[in-house]
Amino acid sequence: MSQINRLASGGRVDRSQPLSFSFNGESYQGFAGDSLAAALLANGVDIVGRSFKYSRPRGIVAAGSEEPNAVLQIGSTEAAQIPNVRATQQALYAGLVANSTNGWPSVNTDMMGILGKVGGKMMPPGFYYKTFMYPQNLWLTYEKYIRKAAGLGRAPTEVDPDSYDYLNQHCDVLVVGAGPAGLAAALAAGRSGARVILADEQEEFGGSLLDTREQLEGEPAAKWVAKAVAELEGMPEVTLLPRSTVNGYHDHNFLTIHQRMTDHLGELAPMGSVRQRMHRVRAKRVVLATGAHERPLVYANNDVPGNMLAGAVSTYVRRYAVLPGRKLVLSTNNDYAYRVVLDWLDAGQQVVAVADVRANPRGAWVEEVRARGVRILTGSAVVEARGSKRVTGARICAIDVASFKVTSPGEVLDCDLIVSSGGYSPVVHLASHLGGRPVWQEKLLAFVPGEGLQKRVCAGAVKGVFALGDTLADGFEAGVLAASESGFKAVIGTLPSAEMRHEEASLALFQVPHDKPTARAPKQFVDFQNDVTAAGIELATREGFESVEHVKRYTALGFGTDQGKLGNINGLAIAARSLGISIEQMGTTMFRPNYTPVTFGAVAGRHCGALFEPNRYTAMHAWHVANGAEFEDVGQWKRPWYFPKNGEDLHAAVARECLAVRNAVGILDASTLGKIDIQGPDAREFLNRVYTNAWTKLDVGKARYGLMCKEDGMVFDDGVTACLADNHFLMTTTTGGAARVLDWLEIYHQTEWPELKVYFTSVTDHWATMTLSGPNSRKLLAEVTDIDLDKEAFPFMTWKEGEVGGVPARVFRISFTGELSYEVNVQADYAMGVWQKIIEAGKKHGLTPYGTETMHVLRAEKGFIIVGQDTDGSVTPDDLNMGWCVGRTKPFSWIGWRGMNREDCVREQRKQLVGLKPLNPDQVLPEGAQLVFDPNQSIPMTMVGHVTSSYMSAALGYSFAMAVVKGGLQRIGERVFAPLVDGSVIEAEIVSSVFYDPKGDRQNV
Amino acid sequence: MSNVNVYKQRPDAAQAESPLFHASLHELVGKGSRNAGVNLREKKLLGHLTLRGDASDPTFASGVHSALGMELPVALTLTSSGDTSLQWMSPDEWLLIVPSGEEFAVEQKLREALAGQHISIVNVSGGQTLLELSGSKVREVLMKSTSYDVHPSNFPVGKAVATHFAKAQLVIRHTGEHTWELVIRRSFSDYFWLWLQDASAEFGLNISQ
Repeated sequence: MSQINRLASGGRVDRSQPLSFSFNGESYQGFAGDSLAAALLANGVDIVGRSFKYSRPRGIVAAGSEEPNAVLQIGSTEAAQIPNVRATQQALYAGLVANSTNGWPSVNTDMMGILGKVGGKMMPPGFYYKTFMYPQNLWLTYEKYIRKAAGLGRAPTEVDPDSYDYLNQHCDVLVVGAGPAGLAAALAAGRSGARVILADEQEEFGGSLLDTREQLEGEPAAKWVAKAVAELEGMPEVTLLPRSTVNGYHDHNFLTIHQRMTDHLGELAPMGSVRQRMHRVRAKRVVLATGAHERPLVYANNDVPGNMLAGAVSTYVRRYAVLPGRKLVLSTNNDYAYRVVLDWLDAGQQVVAVADVRANPRGAWVEEVRARGVRILTGSAVVEARGSKRVTGARICAIDVASFKVTSPGEVLDCDLIVSSGGYSPVVHLASHLGGRPVWQEKLLAFVPGEGLQKRVCAGAVKGVFALGDTLADGFEAGVLAASESGFKAVIGTLPSAEMRHEEASLALFQVPHDKPTARAPKQFVDFQNDVTAAGIELATREGFESVEHVKRYTALGFGTDQGKLGNINGLAIAARSLGISIEQMGTTMFRPNYTPVTFGAVAGRHCGALFEPNRYTAMHAWHVANGAEFEDVGQWKRPWYFPKNGEDLHAAVARECLAVRNAVGILDASTLGKIDIQGPDAREFLNRVYTNAWTKLDVGKARYGLMCKEDGMVFDDGVTACLADNHFLMTTTTGGAARVLDWLEIYHQTEWPELKVYFTSVTDHWATMTLSGPNSRKLLAEVTDIDLDKEAFPFMTWKEGEVGGVPARVFRISFTGELSYEVNVQADYAMGVWQKIIEAGKKHGLTPYGTETMHVLRAEKGFIIVGQDTDGSVTPDDLNMGWCVGRTKPFSWIGWRGMNREDCVREQRKQLVGLKPLNPDQVLPEGAQLVFDPNQSIPMTMVGHVTSSYMSAALGYSFAMAVVKGGLQRIGERVFAPLVDGSVIEAEIVSSVFYDPKGDRQNV
Repeated sequence: MSNVNVYKQRPDAAQAESPLFHASLHELVGKGSRNAGVNLREKKLLGHLTLRGDASDPTFASGVHSALGMELPVALTLTSSGDTSLQWMSPDEWLLIVPSGEEFAVEQKLREALAGQHISIVNVSGGQTLLELSGSKVREVLMKSTSYDVHPSNFPVGKAVATHFAKAQLVIRHTGEHTWELVIRRSFSDYFWLWLQDASAEFGLNISQ
């Protein structure tokens, strides 16, 4: 058996299921039930990475989410790469491939390590700020080097084949953490019938009960866990979420939970399964039972592999049956840590000594340890670890905490494992996400959650309730409270009995003194992930950084992906001592989501690929696809852009389509235009108030172009509105403006003019619209309709009802091309049939389908604006030379009238819409090009406007553009210049914006 | 009646294509998983009318009742009678769904019963369609798609809400213990179809006719 550190029996692993895995290219074996960290330790892997700044070898320290060193890259293929995985939180599966993220070419012989030894002096805290900030233009170079050296892991360069999604949850009580307090809370709330979610980040529920030596009801605690979980599973309104980290506590009791659904099964999810799920939970009440993290002591060389948390070693021994060493030394300031000694002895291993900083500890477990013959050195601590790649000894000295001095020469004890415990830090992260500042409690030597505005209650160790029996009771009470506050009646229940044990107070100890001053002693690490030392923190305070937030930023304490779960409290205790103030005065930094790193896959959910954004299609879309259309995105719509034939490019196709419309007939799918049905006796008055022009005299059967402005007098939308009956209008809007305009009408109706009797209903999707445009359109339409198309019977700007292609239709004679045009509207379900009949009938009339690009060119030739292209929210109707569309004598102060009469809107020299004709007829001005009057002026030039639309006109035979130019309407005939990026200049003449058929004869035929 | 333009918009005989016509759902019938957690069918080409009026006016409510034989549903609910359903959409708006081809006659009947009142009836049949989802896993699919609480304690049978769904909007109607309906807009129907296939993949999806 290769697992040299595996116990022959015990633990919660399944020895009948061996699993092979690899780490840094070496093959190993572990068991089902192992975490990756447990499996690495079982195989005697000491070094899992190199440190961030000094490149020192690092080993596994912890057993949970607080692990700072074993942060690995997982994945055997490129597409399966995941960075930032804590080996302590990754279940082992067959074939797992893990690599260190730092340490090239090998973590055991790191070339950076040599640099690191001198690098210590080279790279004090603040080094990046001090060194790499200047000169600023080199920062990019520095950053690349730092990132590579820092080994933050890497994202895959191939597409992740797995599926990630969201699940929106609502519950009465969300319980965070399934240790003793959380389980008790969930039971209490669940029994009341409330909707309960219990989430826990570990592979199985139970928390500390999975490895404790304490018993419940005289049985191993894990037995009670199984019973509790079984009871919860039987409750229909309880949702159990294992492998689910509650990562964020957001406003209004909204919490995000990151569930790893298949990460324990393999690096790819089984077919049809979702790999990770983001639960988006809205909870009426939250019970935070997040527990506590053990704090390590800070002593010299405390980062050498073989230095671990005391409790973590208990976890490895009892839960995973793994021995992370052979000869153990414990350094502690509290009673609870003594359990590791008992667990170690039970596993048949040697305990070299216990160093207890207290003078005369007499707690129950202390006495038990003493009774089993273990040497206890009181008033002492491990001041220095010996060894480089693995602990070889521990130097234990007597120390005086009050004067921060070593008081004896001490002795060096031969050992390979130093475990330490400096007390327990409640996991206050979630409680502080929304600003509840943690509060220091001297008697607990811990920060506990402060007041929160949220509807939450804390239970168990997170608020400093540590004894098992108390924790269960506290959790139960919290569950009862949360359920009753969310409207459920609590049911009386019983709790398992826990043994009472005499425990003595611990003694505050964070950094252990050394005979040398901190700055000269071997490094005493505070934040392993960011290589922050006690000396670094002292330096920061000497340099004047007194606020905890400043110390944090200057030293990078707590900046790692572990958010300083292990180091923060020690760091601020050192800063406080260095400044001569109390920890309470020092205060603590705050935490933000996420509690542990979350994959981008889970953040994105299904909102990627084809589902990233809705695509909207018209009823004729399949025809466009079948006929080779290229598509353009217009808002969320896919509109045909142009229909290339025989390998045409955009320009060739558009030139052909334009000429077809000008000389024969074209057909456009115009279904995407917004359409709003307006009914009510006050509909006409409403139009008067929202449009700039007048609607009082529009007869039934007629249609009119309208401009809409915002209150500031700037053009906001436009379109044609038809009077269908006295109390009935059909408004059209731009494609992109449809929803906006409907909202606009509703806002004004509901808030400003509720007395007007009018209703608005969107009919954009109900009607499909096909536009026939060109001199042959009348002849063509006549073949498929029963409507009288005679020019007198059906003149320009009117509409008729009848059948087209056998389908009831409304036909509007309006034109966006300047040609004779008919817009045929039919119920969308029947549009494809009608479209096909028109196409068939159109063959002999030279009917050509055209897309948005041709539409744009044709309308520009006529000087018709496109809102959003020729306008940008700073353009009035007068700026567009569309003063004809402003009803200056309308009695009611319509929207935009006051705005457009402000001083600035009526001054001279505003930018005005004009046409531009490049002197070189083959040169097309780039849209967006800035314009100047004098191309020879020095840079920066005085810009006088820009090109808004620009095309080559097949009908005109030359290039042309629309542009806004300062005082442009008074400058017709003058020249402007467009200096381009490549240094060339295009010269153009300012002309009228109507290039084609200025009198409008063609649309009136 | 003459002050609005009302006419029969649906032809008696013509090729009709529902919003999901091009998904060829009929070809997928029976090809899904055996024990599908989700069954989907399009209840297509029905008559959809948007009715607006003053709910606090008793003559409006009685007019609607006399024309349809149905009471106006209260907020966030839906009433059905045979193949006809009437759903509250907003304080002055209801969605009336009737069998295909009946919408013109129903609109005329309503307009007659509500003559003289300020109302609006708009035929939106071509603009939307109804998807019926049934099966034991529909609730999970809905939970993946909308942040509205679809638990029966908050969303009992007979409730209907307009809400967001994935990155778009639609109407969710709870019509039976394990049966739900979605009223979706024509132009978004492909997106919803794609989304629903994806969201039901882990539970199995079956198409029925």
